Amino acid sequence: MPTENRPGSARLNALLMVVLALLLGYFGLSANGYLVPAAIAVILAVLLWLGRAGRIFKAAVLVNLMSGTLLVLVLAFGDFLGDSKLDVSGVSLLINLMSGGPAVALLAPALLLGLRRGKPLHAWFNRAAGAA
Amino acid sequence: MKKTVTTIALVTALLQPVLAQAASFSGRVTLPDGRPAFGAMVTVFDADGERRQTVYAAADGSYAIRTPYAGKLKVRVRLSGFKDAAAEQQAAAAGSKQLDLTLGTFANLGEMNETLSASAFNARLPWPNVARDRPAFVSQCNYCHQMGNSWTRIPRDHEQWIAEVEKMENMLAMQSQAQGRVIAETLWKGFDGKPFDASQNYGASPELARAKVREWLVGDGYTFIHDADVAKDGLLYGTDEGHDILWVLNRETGKIEQHKLPDIDLPRGGIFSGMKLPIGQFTGKHGPHSMAQTSDGRIWITNALSSTLMSFDPRTKAFKTYPVGHDALYPHTIRVDKNDVVWFTIVASNQIGRFDPRTEEMTVTRLPSNGVLRWITDQLFPTLMRIGSWFPDQALHLNLSTHRFFGEQILAFPYGIDVNPVDGSIWYAKLYASKIGRIDPQTMEVKEWDTPLIGPRRPRFDAKGIFWIPAFDEGALMRFDPGTEKFETYRIPTVGKDEYETPYALNVDKRTGQVWMAANNSDRIIRFDPATKAFFSYPSPTRVTVLRDFSFTEDGQVCSSSSNMPAAAIEDGRPSFICIEPEGGAADRTALGS
Repeated sequence: MPTENRPGSARLNALLMVVLALLLGYFGLSANGYLVPAAIAVILAVLLWLGRAGRIFKAAVLVNLMSGTLLVLVLAFGDFLGDSKLDVSGVSLLINLMSGGPAVALLAPALLLGLRRGKPLHAWFNRAAGAA
Repeated sequence: MKKTVTTIALVTALLQPVLAQAASFSGRVTLPDGRPAFGAMVTVFDADGERRQTVYAAADGSYAIRTPYAGKLKVRVRLSGFKDAAAEQQAAAAGSKQLDLTLGTFANLGEMNETLSASAFNARLPWPNVARDRPAFVSQCNYCHQMGNSWTRIPRDHEQWIAEVEKMENMLAMQSQAQGRVIAETLWKGFDGKPFDASQNYGASPELARAKVREWLVGDGYTFIHDADVAKDGLLYGTDEGHDILWVLNRETGKIEQHKLPDIDLPRGGIFSGMKLPIGQFTGKHGPHSMAQTSDGRIWITNALSSTLMSFDPRTKAFKTYPVGHDALYPHTIRVDKNDVVWFTIVASNQIGRFDPRTEEMTVTRLPSNGVLRWITDQLFPTLMRIGSWFPDQALHLNLSTHRFFGEQILAFPYGIDVNPVDGSIWYAKLYASKIGRIDPQTMEVKEWDTPLIGPRRPRFDAKGIFWIPAFDEGALMRFDPGTEKFETYRIPTVGKDEYETPYALNVDKRTGQVWMAANNSDRIIRFDPATKAFFSYPSPTRVTVLRDFSFTEDGQVCSSSSNMPAAAIEDGRPSFICIEPEGGAADRTALGS
């Protein structure tokens, strides 16, 4: 693989994601539920570093961002949901954690912007298709 | 026939005053060397052991006690540092007996150790760093029960203590993993079962010899009467948080009734069903916790586990349930203001509830979060509890709780609450954030103050609007003047070297101004006289006495419930209602001419 073509945003985001994953992993030593998002974040960081499985990567980041946003919105304005409020927030939280939790959520906006067509990250994940 | 019934009724009525004070005893209590046993507790048990009354010996060793009991009675004398002495007495109706008692000496240190309060044992715990490591133990382990009584000081190996600490976490103890490891190691090393020398002094005083204590056993070893409250009908009500029962004691007749709370569509443990609540001790769904009465006679109950408010009408015995809100977690202490509006703290979601019984309007207000960490918890903790409820009795959600690394500091924990009688404002204490706050009942504007000592628990106002606050974590009493916004602090005297005290709750007798408070580490009730700034100690006749809220009767008795968790650890193996009559002993002396 031509690593010299890896864009700076891929390097930076992958590095930050690993650092955040390590932090989550450290918390996971006490509360082992955090090991799940830590592991997912490491996997996503590896995909980002390698520029592989772009669709899965993008889907995971999108799911993370959407579930996180839903969680915040439901907690802030979800009283109209009645007794279902905490069910919705609970499912949102679990989905968010299973897609990398805060380690991905903090980077998700930048990643999704970078994954738009014509941007370096998009090119990085699709370089094989481009070469063909 | 009618005449016979009338005659029987008349004879019964005439006999009643005699029967009401059936067995009386007076005499002297002496130490083994013959000296008077000042402050010794003379306790008379009724024939079936369900009730008891206690007086304290005067400086000359004399005592006198009138009881409503008859039949074969046990009389016991107890004083710290000496072996109990007891006698069985056949007491006839209206009988008055002279009975002198002599305390015994212990055969060995081990026998003496069995009579020490928990405070003597936890004073010996070898903390790596007392200032750094003990606060989490006091805050989280002494939270619900004594640590060091005969139930909790059983020697266990290291792994067993780790399991015990984890078990407590599954019941909402919020120590961090690191704190838990230190606690387990310290308890393993400290509770070794080896006999040790110690002495405790409960501070006998002339005031003590004027007092009398009454106790009524309730329920069984699983019963958990969290709070007790004297209602306007003079009856003593107790909320059994584990079994959804309202216990009612008639202090005159000794009769105890129980009223089962209505069912609710929730699993065992209510919305806390995801926790590993101990089977047997927690069979209910509501978790009735605290009580207050409105002027129409209805008693209002906070249901901690179902997050509901409930009313009980003593006349019709009817309950009515009101939901508090979707993310309210653990409605806690409750008070009623002068307009009959009900106010209560909601500890685990950092909120205050307001309920107007006339309009049945419920308002839940979020309190200041006191920091980013607590803000995150305020937002997410109810969600975590909901996730936990999807996996009942497994406490899986704790694997996502940040208390595992930050400890109890992730919560603000608005705990006690009271109404300022001067201006009607609502005041609360945040146990973990160590703050007190004032709410303007009209504007709902909130102002908070840091307390000078940590662990403000269940505070109360006196008649002049002075806020009295027990500092649970620091064994002290705090006084706050809302006018000057100044605090004063008073350390509670302990009964032995290196010991500490855990004042859980207090109440101020608005007629006398005296502050009555729990001293749950050493089986005492404490009275503080604001005029002289002096503490007076009233040792409990029963070992393992953990008291929660205090309430006053019309005739000046101070009542509470003995509710160590579990009740099986209490000396009787059961909880009780307990009332102190500050002048009851003196009244008995006068009546018996002693």
